[in-house]
Amino acid sequence: MSLVTLHNYLAVAAILFALGAVGFLARRNLIIMFLSAEMMLQGVALNLVAFARYRGNLQGQAFTLFILTVAACEAAIALALILMLFRRRKSLDVSLWQDLREPDLEPIVDEEPLPAPPEPEVLPHLTPAGREPDHPREETSHV
Amino acid sequence: MFDFLWEYWAALFPAALGFAGIYLLLPRLDRQYRLLGAALGGAGLLAAGWFLVENDAVLPETILFYAFSALAILGGGLMLAQHNPVHAALSFALVVLSTCGLFLLLAAPFLMAATIIVYAGAIVVTFLFVIMLAQQAGLTSADQRSREPFLACLAGFVLLTALLCVLQKNYDTHKFDALLAKIQELAQAKTEKDVKRVLGDPADRPPGNMSPPLFAELEKSFVDFDRGKADLLLIQTPMPVAKLATFFQDFEEQVQRARNQVGALQPAADLPLSSFSGLPPNKELAKGKVRHEMPARNVAGLGRALFTDYLLAVELAGTLLLVASIGAIAIAARHREGLR
Repeated sequence: MSLVTLHNYLAVAAILFALGAVGFLARRNLIIMFLSAEMMLQGVALNLVAFARYRGNLQGQAFTLFILTVAACEAAIALALILMLFRRRKSLDVSLWQDLREPDLEPIVDEEPLPAPPEPEVLPHLTPAGREPDHPREETSHV
Repeated sequence: MFDFLWEYWAALFPAALGFAGIYLLLPRLDRQYRLLGAALGGAGLLAAGWFLVENDAVLPETILFYAFSALAILGGGLMLAQHNPVHAALSFALVVLSTCGLFLLLAAPFLMAATIIVYAGAIVVTFLFVIMLAQQAGLTSADQRSREPFLACLAGFVLLTALLCVLQKNYDTHKFDALLAKIQELAQAKTEKDVKRVLGDPADRPPGNMSPPLFAELEKSFVDFDRGKADLLLIQTPMPVAKLATFFQDFEEQVQRARNQVGALQPAADLPLSSFSGLPPNKELAKGKVRHEMPARNVAGLGRALFTDYLLAVELAGTLLLVASIGAIAIAARHREGLR
């Protein structure tokens, strides 16, 4: 007897899909956008496997394998494209490519500047071993 | 409007909490509301779990389901909230691993292994490589800022509530839970009094309508209920309680399965379906046979399905992989000047 129903799995899959959609829309890092798309695929795969289990045949699982294949292809192509885009603009920010938008849309402008990166901490240098540190010789009397 | 809110508040309330949390957690320059966002998101997750729990029985399957789902959703939320792309990739690995746990609960061991190998083993590692290659020093606006966080969260919230409301409307198991409770009571009946308590006294009913309302309800639901036999057992005059109990015991598993499948649309009966991928869902079963939830030899069955029903698709998928790998090399190769 099982208490977890098809409905529960479908709800979890819907939540994963919606989280992935929000990530794809809101994040600006190209890599995180693609990870979000993969998360949406995970939600869909969960749906298919749940349907397969509660219908009692394997068609859903077979479809999920094909999703897996397409996801692998997509990842390969996406990573190659991301590398190309990174070489052109030296950044993973997707907003740098907004000149590809529709002509009647306003460009997105970041109003606040980023805070300055923290200054690299100056660490004291230790003297190399085996050499006498240059310090002023003090006139000392040993009497 | 208020009727709608009242009917679906169990779906709307956790989704609203969760997306308020996600909105506050999305990267932005001032980080003062992150704790509040985390608290709201956690409250939404707890509320969703609370509303999904339908009965008190605690079975290992239920505990594992809630643990894996909570981990998956938590990992998804963490991925959206991370400023550091390496941490985001690791959170995505958490999502993949918990989804694999859910796959295992859903009787898909091969898919679990394949997903771990392909996603956690290949995709996440390759993404980490690219992140390392493209690692920039210091803060970048790609990671510190979000693009239209409010609109994105609103879109996600509308999508999620629409999905959850449709699920709640179509996959409502409360009717089945009530039926199931009555059937379990009948299956455990010891005396005639127990049966009469559940079904009502046949003597109280108008003549010509002997069958209790529960039987009519059962006939209308998805299960294959032999109403004539039940009626016949009921009207015999020392009532054969033991026979009635065994009849309902046999029937209980069917109702349980129907409860689990409620809302799953079955294909039309005259549609020819291949039997290589397990028993076709629209096939009539012989008397006395029950439909199992999964074919027992799952991995072997999946292999047989792939190389019979989906042979052409498998070949095409292989070709797609080959083309994609050639394409990836062609795109990413660094052409020297004059060498093109």
